[in-house]
Amino acid sequence: MNPLLHIHQLGVSYGGLRAVDDVSIDVHTDRVMGLIGPNGAGKTTTIDAICGFVPKATGIIELAGRRLESLPPHSRARAGLVRTFQSVELFDDLTIRENLIVAASAPRWYSTMLDAIHPNRRVTAESVSDAIEMTKINDLIDLRPKQLSHGQRRIVGVARALAGKPKLVLLDEPAAGLDPDETDKLGELIASLPKRGIGVLLVDHDMTLVLDVCDDITVLDFGRVIATGTPQEIRGNQAVIAAYLGSAHE
Amino acid sequence: MTGLQGGAVIAALALGLVLSFRASNVINIAHAAVGMYSAYAFYGLRNYDVDSTERGGDLWLPILGAPSKVHILDRPTVAAALSIALLLAAFFGALLYVAVFRPLRNAPPLARVIASLGIFLYLTSTMSLRAKEIGSGAASLKLTSMLPSGVIKIGSAKIPTSAFVLSGFAVVAALLLALAFSYTRFGLATTATAEQEKGAILTGISPHRIGIFNWVLASLLGAGAVILIVGVSGVLVPTETSLLVVPALAAALLGGLDSFAVTTAAGLAIGMTQGSLVWFQLQSKSLPDWLPNNGLSQAVPVIAILVAITWRGSKLPNRAAMIESRLPESPTPRNPVAWSLVMATAAIVALLQLDAQWRLAIVVSTIAGFVGLASVVVTGYVGQISLAQYAFAGVAAFATVKLTKQGLSFPVAPFLAIAITIAIGLLLGLPAVRVRGMTLAVATIAAAVAIEQLVFNSPSLAGLGAIPRPEIFGIDLGFSATGDENFRAAFGIFAVILFVLATLAVANLRRSPTGLRWLAVRGNERAAAAAGIDVTQTKLSAFAVCAALAGTGGALLAYQSPALSAQQFMVVGALAVLALCFLGGIASISGALVAGLLASGGILTQLQGGNTGNASNYQFAISGLMLIAVAILYPDGVVAAVRHSVAKLRRMSTA
Ligand SMILES: Nc1ncnc2c1ncn2[C@@H]1O[C@H](COP(=O)(O)OP(=O)(O)OP(=O)(O)O)[C@@H](O)[C@H]1O
Ligand SMILES: [Mg+2]
Repeated sequence: MNPLLHIHQLGVSYGGLRAVDDVSIDVHTDRVMGLIGPNGAGKTTTIDAICGFVPKATGIIELAGRRLESLPPHSRARAGLVRTFQSVELFDDLTIRENLIVAASAPRWYSTMLDAIHPNRRVTAESVSDAIEMTKINDLIDLRPKQLSHGQRRIVGVARALAGKPKLVLLDEPAAGLDPDETDKLGELIASLPKRGIGVLLVDHDMTLVLDVCDDITVLDFGRVIATGTPQEIRGNQAVIAAYLGSAHE
Repeated sequence: MTGLQGGAVIAALALGLVLSFRASNVINIAHAAVGMYSAYAFYGLRNYDVDSTERGGDLWLPILGAPSKVHILDRPTVAAALSIALLLAAFFGALLYVAVFRPLRNAPPLARVIASLGIFLYLTSTMSLRAKEIGSGAASLKLTSMLPSGVIKIGSAKIPTSAFVLSGFAVVAALLLALAFSYTRFGLATTATAEQEKGAILTGISPHRIGIFNWVLASLLGAGAVILIVGVSGVLVPTETSLLVVPALAAALLGGLDSFAVTTAAGLAIGMTQGSLVWFQLQSKSLPDWLPNNGLSQAVPVIAILVAITWRGSKLPNRAAMIESRLPESPTPRNPVAWSLVMATAAIVALLQLDAQWRLAIVVSTIAGFVGLASVVVTGYVGQISLAQYAFAGVAAFATVKLTKQGLSFPVAPFLAIAITIAIGLLLGLPAVRVRGMTLAVATIAAAVAIEQLVFNSPSLAGLGAIPRPEIFGIDLGFSATGDENFRAAFGIFAVILFVLATLAVANLRRSPTGLRWLAVRGNERAAAAAGIDVTQTKLSAFAVCAALAGTGGALLAYQSPALSAQQFMVVGALAVLALCFLGGIASISGALVAGLLASGGILTQLQGGNTGNASNYQFAISGLMLIAVAILYPDGVVAAVRHSVAKLRRMSTA
């Protein structure tokens, strides 16, 4: 079967630094792919490059058979490639519901004119209510981001990504700062996404979560892939252990 | 004035801009205005004829409410007058830093822009009042050059000696600054403060002192440059002289607001380009005759710079630059329909009951309200600090008149004119796609100046006169009439109805998905792109709406004014409107209403007893002061402050 997301020889340089070097990853529709590595390994930069946030990335990015390299970030999102941010980045001026609505609504060229006359058209997509229901944030939807706890904000970040009707979500450390209870719930949610036809690329430092919910794991170190395999295989991989120990001894 | 002289002044002013930016991250739009005041101080003191018994020695003061001038000494020498003028400049530099820009160093960019606009408005308006007292023509100040007057021949070209002295002044200043910044502890410490205040503390010099020092230096440079050039050119006009800052801003931006060498080179290059364009336009027979006299020389460098900074910018800020760009809260409009009805009724009743002067004031306020709404949309809702709104209004006004003269009638002509304005708005929105914050503010000022120079001053638009009265369904909507009937209510009612409709449309947009996207882009461009929002399209849609609103105001103005003039659409007007909106809450419709009410010649002017000629200067001066105060006290806007104190009171009363 063709992969949902096919990344081939992805490369990003910052000055002399190869932040991402020849990285190839395939993510399948029905599977959760983990992307792990020590701090500064290049995980966020990989997501940035896949989603179009790095102007000079090289390599092939293919979503469901469609090449995306030349598209700007918002078109990639509309094509089904939706990310979250390590630093969450909600829209502080909007309520939580509005945060989801902007992610769900795809404007047409005439929308501005129509909106000036008739603002309350039913534009809210089903995906907004689906996302609210999946992430169980019903109680929060009329609040603003500043009123939420850190953990709640992270979940809303995931909900906003889901509201955009993604084919694949790229989650950048969604469990950072969550308490064990919240992490468990998040794990269940992530594990349930493939059943709904949404592929997942998960970046996180919480090993229990990653080993638990991922079907496959890719390990990065200094921008390169040093191992790929099932959680079992990764757990015993010498190179991985060395990379993590190395970083722990720094 | 030759290109080289102009270039030297631009370079010297630009160096000051770089200095103050390095010291406190602020692009000081009022930089040349301080120089302008110093020039008034200097030439005021020196205003006596050596062969006569005149005393001179009057120091003009830019202080509202204080005497306009004080006599300090009889027949001061150049050295004495220069020392006093420069001392004052130094004092202003220090004052601006200590009282305004240091407190604002961590404030949102909008607050910093607003504060510098406030200073600009204050100084230009108070000095305009003084200029009226001084008088024009023979009564005006004696502007004599201190520089040698000879010419130096290089080949066949004759270059005034003063040009060499002036450019020498700029180049030496740049050299000294570059050396000082790379080798002295003070220079290194300034660089460290720009990065982080802690950095400077580590070098053992207080960041406070570094800031004062840089601002004083910047002020002295600017004052010196303006005093010298005013002597050479013989032109000292408060607003015009203060707008010397525009080409200087261009040079400073080309130098990345960092490099003294590139900035100086850019300044000299801009001046010389201007010089050669003037020459070219004089020589060339093939240029179309609609081109204003100095149009090319004023506009071309500015346009070149616009293109350069736009090209150098990037579509999305990078990860490292993802700093919070706070803007005042934007409350969701509540009951816009009810509010609009109240507003419309009040205005219409007033139009029908009050006298002609009142009707005029209401129309003036309504038209300013349109420009205010345009600012609320583009700056308040989408966070793009734009100062081109009056340029949009002007495009629509002139286009309406021109199209009508071509034979189109009402309402086809104004509709077409607004469509043209929207196209211009989209064009001017392009820089916003790639540059942000204060840089964008500067880019839009530059664009407005370019339009002013190339279009509004065009001979083909001069003296077009009045156009036929608008008429709809047989109702005469004309504004003028004879006697007490003048300033007819019908036109006023028409304008008010349009304004109320526009207000409703803006309220609708704010609540609709379009408005949500606007706020999303204003808050966080990267996250917006990740959420599938086309940031480019979103910004451009706001510029289109902004142009349409300002354009409607402009089209109304075309029917209101007996004859249009370029003065009606100067960038200074846009500064004032943005500033007034900020007072009323830039991110809510109330901002536009306040801008309309307080507009010069509008309802507030009428309440104060009508337009007495100086009213607008007083009003601008006072709004300038208010702006500075508001920017410092409530950098997040007045409305936010009010809301917070209301919330606080509630909490206290429930506790
Ligand atoms: N804009 C940038 N300019 C220069 N270097 C950068 C930039 N962004 C990231 N880097 C560098 O690229 C490397 C990879 O960073 P990245 O943030 O992708 O790592 P990461 O794996 O996500 O780390 P973490 O686990 O800490 O989030 C790091 O060395 C980082 O310093
Ligand atoms: Mg990261």
